[in-house]
Amino acid sequence: MLRFILHRVLTAIPSLLGLLIVTFMLIRVVPADPAVALAGDSATPQQIEAIRHEYGFDRPIIVQLGLYLAQVARFNFGESQFSHRPVGLDLRQRLPATLELTFGALILATALGIPLGVVAAVYHNRWPDFILRFLSITGIAVAAFWFAITMQLIFAMQLEWLPLRGELSNGVIPPAAITGSLIIDSLLQGQWGVAGDALRHLVLPAITLSVGALATITRFTRAGVLETLQKDFVAYERAVGYPRRRLIWVYVLRNSVIAAVTQIGLLFGALIGGAVVVEAVFDWPGIGSYLVRSILTADYKVMMAATLLVGVVYTVVNILIDLVHGWLDPRLWEQS
Amino acid sequence: MKITRRQFGALAGAAVLLRNLPAEAASDVFVPGWNLPANVDPHQVMDVPAQNVAFNLYDNLYRYEDNPPQMVPWLAESHTVSDDGLTWVFKLKPGSKFQDGSDLAASDVVYSMQRLLKLHKAPAAAFLSILKPEDVTAPDTLTVKMVLSKAYAPFLAAIPLLMVVNEKLVKAHEKDGDWGATWVASNGAGSGAYKLIAETYTPLEKVDLERFDGHFAGWGHNKNPVRRVEIRPTQVTSTRVLGVLNGSLDMTDSYLPADQIDNINNSGHAHVIKNQQMRIFTIRMHNKRPPFDNINARKCFAHAFNYAGFIEEILKGNATRDPAPLPNNLWGFPNDVKGYEYDLDKAKDYLKKAIADGAPMKRAIELHGQQDLDQAVQAGQVFQADLQSLGLNVKLVGDTFANMTSNSAKVETTPDMWIHWVSTYFVDPENWVGQMYDSQFHGTWKASCWYENAKVDELLRKARGLTDQTQRAPLYEDAIRQIVADSPDIWIYNTIELAGLANRVKNLKYCPVGSGCEVRWMSLEA
Repeated sequence: MLRFILHRVLTAIPSLLGLLIVTFMLIRVVPADPAVALAGDSATPQQIEAIRHEYGFDRPIIVQLGLYLAQVARFNFGESQFSHRPVGLDLRQRLPATLELTFGALILATALGIPLGVVAAVYHNRWPDFILRFLSITGIAVAAFWFAITMQLIFAMQLEWLPLRGELSNGVIPPAAITGSLIIDSLLQGQWGVAGDALRHLVLPAITLSVGALATITRFTRAGVLETLQKDFVAYERAVGYPRRRLIWVYVLRNSVIAAVTQIGLLFGALIGGAVVVEAVFDWPGIGSYLVRSILTADYKVMMAATLLVGVVYTVVNILIDLVHGWLDPRLWEQS
Repeated sequence: MKITRRQFGALAGAAVLLRNLPAEAASDVFVPGWNLPANVDPHQVMDVPAQNVAFNLYDNLYRYEDNPPQMVPWLAESHTVSDDGLTWVFKLKPGSKFQDGSDLAASDVVYSMQRLLKLHKAPAAAFLSILKPEDVTAPDTLTVKMVLSKAYAPFLAAIPLLMVVNEKLVKAHEKDGDWGATWVASNGAGSGAYKLIAETYTPLEKVDLERFDGHFAGWGHNKNPVRRVEIRPTQVTSTRVLGVLNGSLDMTDSYLPADQIDNINNSGHAHVIKNQQMRIFTIRMHNKRPPFDNINARKCFAHAFNYAGFIEEILKGNATRDPAPLPNNLWGFPNDVKGYEYDLDKAKDYLKKAIADGAPMKRAIELHGQQDLDQAVQAGQVFQADLQSLGLNVKLVGDTFANMTSNSAKVETTPDMWIHWVSTYFVDPENWVGQMYDSQFHGTWKASCWYENAKVDELLRKARGLTDQTQRAPLYEDAIRQIVADSPDIWIYNTIELAGLANRVKNLKYCPVGSGCEVRWMSLEA
């Protein structure tokens, strides 16, 4: 297993390097002039030129790329041109919020999607299957921003069950940062009320973000279970009288869920991308909205570092997914 | 249904967590949904969002208060200026302190101006061409002297742009000669009525402030001042409005769409405040690119915008028609100027003349506007519809302010047309007509129509060099009459600022400079 992990990590490095280079080149194609954006309102042309020189924007692109890669190799992602803070610091502040939201959505989608997929398959072509198929198509098709606002209107405004926006209620002092996650940090420090408040604030954004993933996992699980149910071993185990529940939820499920697990890895990337809209509507201070703002303000260093970070997180998650594959079916490891 | 012990434990834990919940609206915390600047250093950033923070964290020598804005002595108690308009002497009020308890002295003001100039960022633009760092001195602990290199009438009007920072504190955090830029970007170094809580500061996302009891102006004016401020910008209009409706926000930003007024006013616990601003809304035309290098073409476009329809129908009457490039509530505005009215017949006449002159009126024209601001999009759509009825081909391009200002730095990349506001950074016609139509400002976003008229240049430069407002006003009026006659741009309205405000917020004091963001006046009713 260690060799497998090492192999995956080593093959990921050139991919991430390629990601950096492609992102660097694409950013330079964007017409916005970061010197002008950085200089701000009322700046004179002379001020803009001075800033262009100060930040090295007047150097050849290949030189700028080389300098940047040398910085990244030293784990120095530079300073945001606008906040004048180390980019690493800004990302460390925001990444936990995005991970909380994304993992919250993924856990919801997986915990509900897999059982619902099994139910749909077991009741194939009967009313539970029809309803679940309809709901999963709707879940894939629905626009995230519309769903988010609808959830706000129903649960925050009409029913007043859940908060409208943000990570914590007004006036609540956040816990001292240990991991950066409000929920984990407040639990670690015994601040149960704060943890509960943070959890309440996570519910609506996580549900919103999970909808598309839930629908996808449901459909893939359904397809996998339907296929497995046709297999000989299932007929045999039925014939010898295995308890139906155990047969479905242990043996059939384990053999069916590989495709769904693969989807979970792919969905993680989609969730991080989809988090931008959810973060915007719910004012969730994650990386998505930070990255969008950096694009709008031509903050190159932030764009590069945030893209690299998302690439790294995505790679790690997919390595973990591969490990789960191997646990579900050890033959896959032997083949790889 | 059987529940395992593990399941029971999980349910019980969840019940405990969800039960111990603090209240949503803490009674002594003010939570506005204002936009935030890129960072909190007042010498690096001074735009509309920056004012929301700077006016609370820092103090200036003079400050604008009230509406119409009046400049009142703030850290300074008085000033004198020499007859030639070059030497300015400011006397500070004794006894002012920074938030760390140290005394605020003239040397801090000197350092602040020098830092502003040396950092060379946008807030310095008003001073760079007229003041050198070495010409700012402190003859004694309460006196600051600034000697300009040339007379500049807007100097006093622009002085409120200078926020005073704590010299010792900033110098202690300087790194590699950066004048403390990295540290001040995320920390407070001022004397203002509210202190920054640096531990929770997240750029563009979150600013928390707490009251500074030792503020030099005292708290006698406010029996129940706000203890804590949590600025929480919201990205989406619907969340901002819903936030005010359900009490999770106490105030929206100042771009509330007119169609939300009734929603908020009917809510029972919030209302909409309306204030006359000094922020003009304009559509720029690229005067150096055909067809806009032709005056008949420009007048065709000027007569094709439905000013009254846009103001009455789209904005529900919440704007004041302003036919010239200056807020119509500021001195220097010529009251006899009529401007252009919506008249498609006149537009057609000018269209024919422009075509006869050889102007390429049928080419595709791009109209750029900020895609995240409803009014800019709506103005573009209204305009496009009328221009199409004249047979003109206008394409709307969603854009960002950063991109548009970036492109307007060069003639070749400036859009054919683009829509924007010009806000109040300092209260002087120079802020608008001076910097928009003097050709020496070509290359800046304000002068992005690339208009050039030697007579107008002469009038504006002369007005800039005089110190007597009674002499300056007629020069600006003449300049504006000429500019309007040349029709380089389309001027639509002066803003009536709309903001949603929770009923529990009392005593907000509005000023067009800062949009009422000074929390020191406010109190919260239980």
